[in-house]
Amino acid sequence: MLAAGFRHGVAALAACVAASGVVPAHAQVPSLSLEHGVKATYLHKIAAFVEWPASAFESADSPLVLCVAGNDPVGKLVPEAAIGRTYGMREIVVRRIAQPAAAGGCHILYVAGLRDETITAYLESVRDKPVLTVTDGAPDRRFKGAVNFVIRDNRVRLEVDLELATAHRLVVSSKLIGIAARVVP
Amino acid sequence: MLIMAFVGLVMLLSAGIAMVLYNERSYAETKQAQVQAQAAILAATVTAALAFHDIQAAQEYANALRTDGDVQAVGVYDMEGALIAGYGVEPGSLALQLRDAVAQSRDNELIVTVPVRQGLATLGTVYVRSALQPLSMRLERYAVIALLVTMAGVIFVVVIVTQRALTATNRELVRQGADLARANEELRNEIAHRQRIEEAFRQSQKMEAIGQLTGGIAHDFNNLLQIVVGNLEVLQLKLAKDADERRFVAAALRGAARGAALTQRLLAFARRQPLDPKPVDVNRLVVDMSELLHSTLGESIDVDAVLASGLWQVMVDANQLESALLNLCVNARDAMPSGGRLTIETANANIDEAEAREQDVQPGAYVLIAVSDAGTGMSDDVVARAFEPFFTTKDVGKGSGLGLSQVYGFMKQSGGHIKIESAAGRGTTVKLYLPRLVVDVPPAARAMPSAQNGQGACDAKILIVEDDDDVRTYTSTTLRDFGYSVVEAANAKEALKALASHPDIDLLFTDVGLAGGMNGRQLADEAVRRQPKLRVLFTSGYARDAIVHDGRLDPGVDLIAKPFTHTALAAKLHQVLVTAREHG
Repeated sequence: MLAAGFRHGVAALAACVAASGVVPAHAQVPSLSLEHGVKATYLHKIAAFVEWPASAFESADSPLVLCVAGNDPVGKLVPEAAIGRTYGMREIVVRRIAQPAAAGGCHILYVAGLRDETITAYLESVRDKPVLTVTDGAPDRRFKGAVNFVIRDNRVRLEVDLELATAHRLVVSSKLIGIAARVVP
Repeated sequence: MLIMAFVGLVMLLSAGIAMVLYNERSYAETKQAQVQAQAAILAATVTAALAFHDIQAAQEYANALRTDGDVQAVGVYDMEGALIAGYGVEPGSLALQLRDAVAQSRDNELIVTVPVRQGLATLGTVYVRSALQPLSMRLERYAVIALLVTMAGVIFVVVIVTQRALTATNRELVRQGADLARANEELRNEIAHRQRIEEAFRQSQKMEAIGQLTGGIAHDFNNLLQIVVGNLEVLQLKLAKDADERRFVAAALRGAARGAALTQRLLAFARRQPLDPKPVDVNRLVVDMSELLHSTLGESIDVDAVLASGLWQVMVDANQLESALLNLCVNARDAMPSGGRLTIETANANIDEAEAREQDVQPGAYVLIAVSDAGTGMSDDVVARAFEPFFTTKDVGKGSGLGLSQVYGFMKQSGGHIKIESAAGRGTTVKLYLPRLVVDVPPAARAMPSAQNGQGACDAKILIVEDDDDVRTYTSTTLRDFGYSVVEAANAKEALKALASHPDIDLLFTDVGLAGGMNGRQLADEAVRRQPKLRVLFTSGYARDAIVHDGRLDPGVDLIAKPFTHTALAAKLHQVLVTAREHG
């Protein structure tokens, strides 16, 4: 049963990644790159389930900025995964940043593959800003973004911190909450 | 009514069919809307699961539709058309053409596909296949409607038919009721009619009975009076011209004459007075009477004659009619003691069957003479008895009670009738109806009474036939006094014998009623057969059928009624014999 569940999960991951166009559709073997690909895809997909305040955008057609901080394999896959993706009428652009100070113009900030203090610094830098912070597998709330990737049953799932999201003046869709692995109210 | 029922039935059926069609259509629309809603809800809820490839969540959302037993298959497909979750669908990809929002039904199933969108991004497709209720089941459902429609139709038809039957019955009842009322009314009328006829019949029976009695008495009285008068006249002749006894004889004669007049009137009532009917113009008769009426009625009575032009003639004894009218006018005068207007009116009148039956008279054409006064009038009781002899409302000594009786008898004897219309205080109209004379004969001038008497009588030989010895003796004495030769016979047998032995007899003077099997008429017939030149004069106490038919003397028959005075007899004999000579 477990084996079957695992296989199913991997197959689903594979299908998902294939759909995102990151990895070849014929990839059958679970691998780190598959997990990364899924996460990279999820990063721009999350945007559809989140509402930013209008003030977060300079104009009606200014793009949604997806920032990637840290030296994380997922981050490397994000630009390719986000190509051609949109948030409503807005284009999704990927920006790699190297300093917390550069995170001000981001709408989604993915922080991973950094030391805890650095991660905290990034998160702190956008504390009052309408930025959806996303982290990967953070064990402690101090290092978690509003959304945190976790692995459950061999599948990439999301933890959602509604309090944090609200603090960032973001509205998270109940649909996203509905499928979240864990929700911090 | 049948057409109404048929139209009603067709309307009912149409309504039923329309209901079924509407239901069918409504069902399809409702079902499609329902499945579309289900698919849309699933599409809306499955977005995140699809986006983040949460197969378990997607499957749970899909499974939620299992609560609807009609939903046979649910599929959640990703952007590439690959099946992510669901049940009842073939594993594999979704056909490209189904990725848009589509609803299509085939056979007994409805397929709906709805794209899964989050914001403007399309994430995949939801596929829902739902079973439609099979036609047979739907038809079963409609069978209930059909049954209801049929039942309603049956009730409708029953109501219509019942209504029809009721209406027809009602109409029939109303008709029968009307018939019954009509029949009842007819019956009432018939009863009233019969009562009137019976009353008239009773009245005429009564008058007939009184008439028989009166006639019988009057006849015998006449014979007795004849003896009294005859002998008194003989006595008078034998008395010296200046004898005192003459006064007594004259008084006795006056008394006898009054008795004779009385019996004459009784006979008139009994319809046994000899009549001499001739064609008469009533208008002329009334005009001729005006002088007489004026002198009789006095100055206080105005007489109006309203005479119809073109009045028919009647066959009647003019003298008696005159007497009857005078009688009525006198009555009218007496009803108006302080004077007033008296109207004599003539007119042609027709009496139809119904009226004739009611009055107990013959229907036909009549000449009407109406005498009206504006006097005191009569009550119904008085009218009912007015014709009875000796019935009078006048004071003792003022009326004999025979006037109207006499008029009644005369009218009946003349084939007419008399009717009184009166009400107390509203005057009286007496109507005389005389039958129209159909054969148009110019009215003869009324014969004036002959002034001739016994003087100048010829020397004829007369055969007297009379069964009453006293009468015969008186008669023969009188005739001899007149200068005639007389042969006597008591009955027909003796008379024929005498006739044989005296072939020179000029005149047979016979009583109509004779004892011994042969009456005066038969004797006269036989005598004339033997001696064609023989003249005949009848005499009678009252007219019998032998010579008087229907109140009229046979043509060529001469009669002198008893009691007669010798003056009257002399005049009559002279007339008969002179006429014989003129014609002979």
